[in-house]
Amino acid sequence: MPRILIVDDSPTIRKMVRASLRPLDSFDFVEAANGLAAIEQLALGPVALMILDLNMPDMHGVDVLRFLRSHPSSRGVPVVVLTTRGDDSSREAAMTAGATQYLTKPFVPQALLSAAQDLLRSVSP
Amino acid sequence: MTSAESTAGIGSYILFSVAATTYALPSGEVRHMEMLEEITRVPNAPSFVDGVVFSRGQVVPVVNLRARFGFERAPFDLKTRLVVVQAGTRLIGLVADSAREFVSIPPEAIQPPNDALAGMSGRYVDGIATVRDRLILILNLDRILNFDEAQTVGLAV
Amino acid sequence: MTQTGSPQDDTTFPDFLDDYFAECDEHLTGVRRLLLSLEGSVGRPEINRAVLDELFRHFHSLKGISGMVELRQAEDLAHRLEDFLRVLRQGGAILTAEGIDALFDGTQMLEQVISVRRSGGTFPKVRDVASRIAQLVDTGGGTSAARESAGNVEETAPPSTTPLWICTFSPSADLVARGIRVDTVRGRLTGAGEIVNAVPRVSADGSIAFDFQLSAHLDEATIAAWREDGIDVTRAPEETRPSIPGPADRDEGETTSTGAVSSSQFVRVDLARLDELMRNVGDLVIGRARLADTLSRVESRMPSGEWRAIQENAIVMDRQLRTLREGIMRVRLVPVGEIFRRMPFVVRDLARETGKRVRLELRGQTTEIDKFLIERMMDPILHLVRNAVSHGIETVEERIAAGKRPEGTIVLSAATAGDIVSLDISDDGRGIDAEAVIERARKVGLPIPAGSTDSATLLSLLCAPGFSTRDESDRASGRGVGMSVVQSAVEELSGALRLETEKGTGTRFVLELPVTLAITDALIAKAGPETFAVPQGAVREVIEVAVETLLQVEENEIMTYRGAALPIVRLSRLFGLPETTRSRLHLFVVGTGSSAMGIAVDRIVGQREVVVRAIADPLVRVAGISGATDLGDGHVVLILDPAVLARQMRERPDRTIGGARGALA
Repeated sequence: MPRILIVDDSPTIRKMVRASLRPLDSFDFVEAANGLAAIEQLALGPVALMILDLNMPDMHGVDVLRFLRSHPSSRGVPVVVLTTRGDDSSREAAMTAGATQYLTKPFVPQALLSAAQDLLRSVSP
Repeated sequence: MTSAESTAGIGSYILFSVAATTYALPSGEVRHMEMLEEITRVPNAPSFVDGVVFSRGQVVPVVNLRARFGFERAPFDLKTRLVVVQAGTRLIGLVADSAREFVSIPPEAIQPPNDALAGMSGRYVDGIATVRDRLILILNLDRILNFDEAQTVGLAV
Repeated sequence: MTQTGSPQDDTTFPDFLDDYFAECDEHLTGVRRLLLSLEGSVGRPEINRAVLDELFRHFHSLKGISGMVELRQAEDLAHRLEDFLRVLRQGGAILTAEGIDALFDGTQMLEQVISVRRSGGTFPKVRDVASRIAQLVDTGGGTSAARESAGNVEETAPPSTTPLWICTFSPSADLVARGIRVDTVRGRLTGAGEIVNAVPRVSADGSIAFDFQLSAHLDEATIAAWREDGIDVTRAPEETRPSIPGPADRDEGETTSTGAVSSSQFVRVDLARLDELMRNVGDLVIGRARLADTLSRVESRMPSGEWRAIQENAIVMDRQLRTLREGIMRVRLVPVGEIFRRMPFVVRDLARETGKRVRLELRGQTTEIDKFLIERMMDPILHLVRNAVSHGIETVEERIAAGKRPEGTIVLSAATAGDIVSLDISDDGRGIDAEAVIERARKVGLPIPAGSTDSATLLSLLCAPGFSTRDESDRASGRGVGMSVVQSAVEELSGALRLETEKGTGTRFVLELPVTLAITDALIAKAGPETFAVPQGAVREVIEVAVETLLQVEENEIMTYRGAALPIVRLSRLFGLPETTRSRLHLFVVGTGSSAMGIAVDRIVGQREVVVRAIADPLVRVAGISGATDLGDGHVVLILDPAVLARQMRERPDRTIGGARGALA
């Protein structure tokens, strides 16, 4: 089954993201708590969608994004970045680096689910 | 220390009733009272020991006072209480039909047990007190809690 | 927004509160530790950059998750604290006492808000603290201009003789199947030395690899072992010797390459999962027993060489099972330091509040006790420590007048002796005034035992419910955890509480607890209406027999078992319990060879790990019962001692256990 990758250093938020996206039951969910683990997941197989937190301890989300876009097999992965309210510069940097969409924390589960569904629909199976 | 003389001056006692008689124990010997939950039978324990229960994390033997005093056992109801007492390092639970709070009994109100009380419960009584026209039997905890084979055989109901 | 029936229709995530609280605990633990270390930098021109960065991260994360669970006050406080940290990180500032106080107060308020959300109560008013911090941020207060060259110190690597290595790891499905992921690699490298840098890259063939720069002393064996696990190790060329950057220097908008990483070497483990693991191991043990049975049956039909080989495997499995079981038991042991960690913060806080000077000494933090016990002991120890500060240690003036050092000392220590752990909380304060205690007890109506008022008596008075009442305005010892709760917590764990005190000199509380709870694997069985537990170690085998196959020989029942006669005794008969007629019986085979016996029960309900509680009182000391346990519903279940039962039966096969004592009516 195609995979959705959830990247955030907070286990609580990973769990919440997963719960928000539960209706997408034709997908497997994988999680990563830091940038390197996220990149590892990309190496291990195709990812249909990535939910990416920006502020992570070892590697900033923007750097993960840049790496992703530089790698041929992951260039086209849709990415929703989770930004902090008021942090405009990070958001802009993320969009410039190739994020598909952004969502501001704290987010409403509906909003995340809608964004995910839109992105998954627009990519042909 | 004997039950009735544990404190100089007015003693504080816990009252409880067994088969329509009121008994008392010095409050220093009583740890707490609780309602009875299910008792686990201990096979081959003395006949007046109903079994064991957990009380505050410890395994506590349950002595049925009715059986101990030679009365017929009665089913437990909402008023039945487990009076958890301490004798030295031992923690034991006594089943009473009901148990009430503290009462103060001055030593002058206590008489030694008279011979008319000979019989089963007489053996365990240290003194008789009269408080506001009520007769209260003050118990000797040690004698209640210790036993020997001969006694046990005699108690078969 | 399209309605798609999402899991939550409202905007909150109430189910995640447990995770939220757990994560908050972790962050707050880190914050406390870092603030204490930051305190040392007050007034100094250099502040450790790494500490500031970590603090910033913690507050940032706390802000994020608090927002997600809609705990607004927590989010707000965390936000202010984060802002303040941002100011500090900008460098060129000296932290003032006002600044560190604001940080401590803000953190404490944050803890309180979270605690109220968790366990109820009224929310504290956060506005004052929040605006105080905000003000410091706006006016640049809480810091003072640094002199000249001072800035925030980055820890530069001293010229080091530790060799530098490049460790390359390429993830693959094979390695994942073996449990090796980039996080595990990181952990291993951190265990061997210091990761200076970690960079992902795309190799020539398009695959992804991670390059770690590691500063460590490595031997051939380690390098070879790592190579086996997919980590390629080469010496770094000498020129590359960068300074050690702190964790990703991250202000919004900046991006730099990955810095040193510090992934934890520990995992959080749910106690329930550990219990489940133990049950699984128990199942394995039963399975292994059945295997032994099958093996013995096929022994005669197999070539002896083959049978022996299988038998040897089975024996190895036995040993592995035992090791596994012991290993899991050890996982439950946790260093006592876990409880101790919070204490400096608590003491410092309370001392400040009461205007006293108190020093806390911790000893024996590595002493290990069962995790279950640690969790139960947290609150009681907190209470005792708080008491020591608020009631034990005198004010500075009082101490000087008494000829003592103005600073009071509290010593919190842990030590093991045999299978008992002693936790000691002692102070050099004013000691407990026996007369005041007795006076108080009298006033509250507690019975006063006659004779001496020794420490044991004092302790029992202090711990009597009702001794301390609600109207005590001393918030410090508050939250309703009185000494009585401390005592019952200790008692429930089969421990003991002791007091030593001397008026004018000090007070010492000693808690003695079992190192591990006496835990044993037991089979749970029913005989008549009663449930019993039988220690698995005592049972050689569990078999089921049809009643017809039993032979009656005089008073005894016998069956053929492995070609020999096995005497059977029915547990219900042994204990004088009402018997139910059954067509099949379950037998525990105990003993070996000629002393083997079968103890028959009606049904085996299951098997589990049980905590053994002693049955000490002579009134209920019965041969064949070795203790009692609780299967979770508060009901006592007796634990049998099959060896004793078997012996008794052999010696007096015609009578029930206990001889003259009749069965209960």
